[in-house]
Amino acid sequence: MEEQLKIDFEKLLENSNFSKKNVELKRKNFDNFIKKGFPNRREENWKFSDLNQIISKNIKNLSFYNDLSKPNKIDQSIFIDGLEHNKLVFVNGKIEKIEFDYEEKNKIEILDDLVLEKFNDVNNSLLFLNNAFVSNYFKLTVKKNYALQKPLIIYNITNKDLVSKNVNLKVDIMLEENSSLKLIEFSNDKSTTNFININYNFDLQKNSILKNYKIDNNSNSNIKYYFNNISQDTNSVSEIFLLSSGSEFIKNEINCNLNGIYASAFVNGVFMLNETKHHEIKTNINHLVENTKSYQLIKSVLDDTSKAVYQGKIFVDSKAQKTDGYQLSKAILLNDNTEFNAKPELEIYADDVKCSHGSSSGSLNEESIFYLMSRGLNYKEAKKLLINGFLLDVVEKITDSEIKNLIKNIMSLKQ
Amino acid sequence: MLKIKNLKADIENKSILNNFNLEIKPGEVHAIMGPNGSGKSTLSNILSGKKGYDVSGEILFENKNLFELETEERAHKGIFLAFQYPLEIPGVNTNIFLKTSLNAIRKARGEKQLDAIEFLKLVKLKAKDLKFDEEKLNRQLNVGFSGGEKKKNEILQMSILNPKLSILDETDSGLDIDALKIVADGVNSLRKKDNSFLIITHYQRLLDYIKPDYVHVLMNGKIIKSGGPELALELENKGYENFN
Ligand SMILES: Nc1ncnc2c1ncn2[C@@H]1O[C@H](COP(=O)(O)OP(=O)(O)OP(=O)(O)O)[C@@H](O)[C@H]1O
Ligand SMILES: [Mg+2]
Repeated sequence: MEEQLKIDFEKLLENSNFSKKNVELKRKNFDNFIKKGFPNRREENWKFSDLNQIISKNIKNLSFYNDLSKPNKIDQSIFIDGLEHNKLVFVNGKIEKIEFDYEEKNKIEILDDLVLEKFNDVNNSLLFLNNAFVSNYFKLTVKKNYALQKPLIIYNITNKDLVSKNVNLKVDIMLEENSSLKLIEFSNDKSTTNFININYNFDLQKNSILKNYKIDNNSNSNIKYYFNNISQDTNSVSEIFLLSSGSEFIKNEINCNLNGIYASAFVNGVFMLNETKHHEIKTNINHLVENTKSYQLIKSVLDDTSKAVYQGKIFVDSKAQKTDGYQLSKAILLNDNTEFNAKPELEIYADDVKCSHGSSSGSLNEESIFYLMSRGLNYKEAKKLLINGFLLDVVEKITDSEIKNLIKNIMSLKQ
Repeated sequence: MLKIKNLKADIENKSILNNFNLEIKPGEVHAIMGPNGSGKSTLSNILSGKKGYDVSGEILFENKNLFELETEERAHKGIFLAFQYPLEIPGVNTNIFLKTSLNAIRKARGEKQLDAIEFLKLVKLKAKDLKFDEEKLNRQLNVGFSGGEKKKNEILQMSILNPKLSILDETDSGLDIDALKIVADGVNSLRKKDNSFLIITHYQRLLDYIKPDYVHVLMNGKIIKSGGPELALELENKGYENFN
């Protein structure tokens, strides 16, 4: 693999016109990745999901260079109906459409050809990989006091031409003071066995509001890693909802720094997994100043031999008095061969805080099934009603009612 | 309507029912009384098709072998069990559950399914009869319901589904005096020449309101004595210990 990496990296440099400084930066990232390689279970963060092994098991002859010179066709049929929205469309990692028809043009700024400016020593080998291979990245700024009229949907599409590739994407979103954005990320994959590595950076300034809904529900054999980095200033709110369901493997890592007082972060997630799927949510919520709040609720329904992992960490700095931190995870295991791992972690250095965590898992309640069947529902209907009921309260946490309905439809929770 | 012959039921190698016999004809109301742990709920569960029991013997419902029917098929055929401990089902709206249930049964019987408006009309009417707070029907099924409200909800379901054989497993326990009267009225209004009831209770009081045709005493896995309503009074005076 190292040889392939080197060849592909040189190919990338050859075929792009990065500045000298930029090439240097990329090389530095590349060298760092080569040194560390893909993460494996010996790293605490990856102990439930050995990515190195998962990649070598699922992807034959992974290669890293993508020719982004030719445009890709967009399959319009996958666009979401019945919800007016702005669009950003990536196909196989290449940006193909930027459409902000509903917005005032001077209230947003869109840059789609940014290159790396400085070295970020994050000690995350997948970010090194991303920084080394990403050709250019995308940045959206929402200007002061502006709330986008309509949601933005980022379509992350891969088509069947894409096989055994590593795709890297980087998207920065800046919300200036008092601004707000509803962002849906919608994945649609017709490709096979790729490693998709996505890095989002959200910068939430004072009083800004981010609602971010990530939907991955169409079945595919790709391996995905998301690194979501969120930095929040005073009184800002981030609301994240994850529907983690379709891809063979996903690890969604959410690193949220609550830097300003009264900042709050909500992470709600649903795993709906079957077959051999293996998904993880790893959060680091860092309460760094006083009076910040975080809330996490993760529910899983696992079938066949699927596996879900939730590692939720709440860190409370000694300065962060009056922190309110909560996390809960619940899982229904439909099959004895499924696996659910929850590792809650509280690291608290302040004394006046309110933090709690809890986790439970179990099979579907047969008594409840019997109750429903005694009222005329067959086993399948009873099971579905119970599962929907179990998942409903997470979905109800979505504060945007239009998007909540959309997601209920996608999850067939509509009653 | 219901014929139970030589029913034997074990759970985890423990014998619960043994040589249990009972026949209920259309329109009849039978009451079963028996000490705690004597197998009354076990009998109800077996009639509704709950799994996990070792059973032998025969149960015929309208001449059909019940053991060949799944739980939902028995419901379709008109068997209804009001649970001793109704379950809480989080996330499932009570109205939607009721509608799903009613339409599943109507569909199985080849009847037209009710649309939302027809259904709400029916539910409103039945809820009013039972003095059941309609607002509660928009809540999650039995979640946060009081003990008595859960029991009333069972009777509401019964009156909506209009079953042929209703088994009431200690529906009276936990009901206040007014509620008891209302529930009894609900049962009485369903009493017709081809609707039958099996009423399990510990208290004679309920039987003042719902006059049974027969009272049976269940002990040691079988019915040890049957009689008319006066048997309930006798039991109340003597207790089980000194019965026999
Ligand atoms: N799942 C089970 N596993 C083991 N034993 C059980 C189980 N269910 C019931 N039993 C036992 O079977 C016996 C009969 O129980 P059942 O619930 O039918 O009694 P009951 O007559 O309804 O009592 P009560 O008046 O208290 O409601 C009891 O001894 C009970 O402990
Ligand atoms: Mg009982």
